[in-house]
Amino acid sequence: MRRAVTAALRAICCLALLGLGSNVQAHKASDSYLQIDAGDKGTTLRWDIALRDLDAAIDIDANEDGRLTWGEVKAAWPRIEAYALPRLAIAGCALRPTGHALERRNDGAYAVLMLTSDCVLAPTPAIDYTLFREVDPTHRGIARLQRAGQPPTLLMLDPTHAIITPTATASAAPPEASAPNGALGFLREGVRHILTGYDHVLFLLCLLLPSVMRRTPEGWRPVDSLSQAVWPVIGIVSAFTVAHSITLGLAALKIVALPSAFIEPAIAVTIILAALDNVWPILPVRRVVVTFCFGLIHGFGFAGVLAELNLPTSEFVRALLEFNIGLELGQLMIVVGVTALLFVLRQWPRYRPLVIRGGSYAAIVVGLLWLIERTANVSILPM
Amino acid sequence: MTDTVQPFKLLLTSTLAALLLAAATGSLATPIAPTSDDEVIDVLPAVSGSRADARRLRQQLAQQPQNAALALTAARRYLDQAHELGDPRFAGMALSAIAAWPDAASAPDEVLMMRATLQQYLHEFDASAATLKTLLARPGAPRPQAWLTLATVRRVQGRYAESDAACAQVGRAGATLHASACAAENAALSGDVERARATFAALLADPRQPAATRAWLTTSVAELEQRAGRAAAAETAFRAALALAPDPYTTLDYADFLIQQQRPAQALALLKGQVRSDAVLLRLAIAGVQAHSPGAAADVAEMRERIALANERPDAKVFHGREQAMFALAVDGDARRALALARGNVVQQREPLDLLVLAQAARASGEASALQDAKRVVDAMGLVDRRIEAIL
Repeated sequence: MRRAVTAALRAICCLALLGLGSNVQAHKASDSYLQIDAGDKGTTLRWDIALRDLDAAIDIDANEDGRLTWGEVKAAWPRIEAYALPRLAIAGCALRPTGHALERRNDGAYAVLMLTSDCVLAPTPAIDYTLFREVDPTHRGIARLQRAGQPPTLLMLDPTHAIITPTATASAAPPEASAPNGALGFLREGVRHILTGYDHVLFLLCLLLPSVMRRTPEGWRPVDSLSQAVWPVIGIVSAFTVAHSITLGLAALKIVALPSAFIEPAIAVTIILAALDNVWPILPVRRVVVTFCFGLIHGFGFAGVLAELNLPTSEFVRALLEFNIGLELGQLMIVVGVTALLFVLRQWPRYRPLVIRGGSYAAIVVGLLWLIERTANVSILPM
Repeated sequence: MTDTVQPFKLLLTSTLAALLLAAATGSLATPIAPTSDDEVIDVLPAVSGSRADARRLRQQLAQQPQNAALALTAARRYLDQAHELGDPRFAGMALSAIAAWPDAASAPDEVLMMRATLQQYLHEFDASAATLKTLLARPGAPRPQAWLTLATVRRVQGRYAESDAACAQVGRAGATLHASACAAENAALSGDVERARATFAALLADPRQPAATRAWLTTSVAELEQRAGRAAAAETAFRAALALAPDPYTTLDYADFLIQQQRPAQALALLKGQVRSDAVLLRLAIAGVQAHSPGAAADVAEMRERIALANERPDAKVFHGREQAMFALAVDGDARRALALARGNVVQQREPLDLLVLAQAARASGEASALQDAKRVVDAMGLVDRRIEAIL
């Protein structure tokens, strides 16, 4: 059995090496991407510009070896901002930079400039866009203008026709998620994610249901004292925490990458297996070990959410830490509440048939439905 | 014990499945979190010669943008890179190198010639022809290159009579070999295959022809035989042309021939070491699907992603109409979409391949009117192509 566990772990590690993605250069025309979010109190703008285009204008490749290293890009940041910012103006809005990041797209790496302004965007703001006008007249800025409650408007910004005013070129495209703002924003995101991430909660519940019981040859028996329940709970929760922190960290730092098409169904499988094990002991290793293995999978699930939040590179580690602490806090709330409730209920004669069996069957059904939803890409459950 | 291992086996199997999935799919934009200064974030496209020289040239040009010699040297380099890598960004950079002369009336001759060539590369055929006519209206020495480019532009537009007229001017300007080949090319397209074949044979019989010229003429022969439905002769010519001077254009041409001959494995082998330009990737995807090769899914996914990215620009369907129509037809089997794209494409460019794709899409759509429309376009042009006749 241990061999199977090691094999599974080894397979997960293999993924790390293969999932990094190939770096193939596409041959599209030069485009920059602008995501403009117009709010009631101000306007934020995210501007993605290809590094290879910037190099053609301001020589980022300091040692001229054709490879842009992080050191070279870092050194060039002030010049990138000094070059780009004067080449974009939105009427009535003084844009100021708030941060920057890097991202990879199909055709190479992009510099991401985060800009903000206190202005309220005019209904048809005049956008003066002249980026790369002297480098490549076929360059375009592709802007997605998003106003609350409205479908986004797409704009083509041509640097050789300086001022562009949005007209009725609206086209529906899914808005991108924006990074949470404010102090401890990522902490809140972490708490929110575990409390509303029903799949993680259900998995924890499956593990906790029998925690106020002991497994004996005759079946589940209630524990005598709280301490008999607390220690296994602490063990399970710690194993889950350590495991998902490992994979969350690995995935967030881009050391390991797994497609959500695999992770999401796999999370559903962990729920089914954990619930099945409550009814029939099918998992041959101790619950702590099982929890650890499955926790690794859940960590990738958390990382998927984290990626959607568009973390700023500069504050990456802090944001990651905040998000994880948020997860643990949310998890602690659930564990304390549930364990207390179950401990009170444990002597109830119907605990075993109703809570353990009934609860586990329900979890199996929900887990199976999720598995179907996530593999067949259909919607069955309301959440 | 064996029963209990089952769930882990399941987990393991799905993990392995995920391996393949992860390798096959990429995402649109993923954050990069570099961990060390030495980490390579991006690799710049290849340059011919040293990067330092290229950069020095650019800096010199930035200081003296009115220096025509510098501007043309830079533009020529960028255009070569665009051809070599199939990368349109370099055509844009070449345009900017000659941006100091926005007014055609006052631009130097060489600048106009360069602009027309770039416009041709960017599929702005009417603009290219207009620029050439401005240049050719000027007094001065004969301009065989300008006439030859005009003949090519008109041929690509399917305007064979105008192309013929330009070919004749190439001869009057003194370039007899090019004039003969130019006229023979049009003759072959219009169905006068015997005369064209004889002309090419005579030109190739001259042992003094340099290899590049021989390769160019031999490619024309290969295309001619392909349209005449003589596969064996076409194949011999393709191989001979590639043996003389391998170039991306002939390689793609030969790959299309192999795909049409239902020999996808050989097409894949031919394209293997090529720069993965959009045109090359498209053929890899089509041949991969045809051959059911294991790498096909990845190539198809990448091509699909590139098309999606390119289509963020409203004019992309014009520039990439041919490629997108081929993809819709051969990969997605979406005849309606392919037909719409192919129809839009032939408004712009009318090389035999464009008409072939239109005919294939019309046939696949099952619409009698679409077939009639396609036939009308082919007949109006005067194109004679056995492959197309077989479909319509």
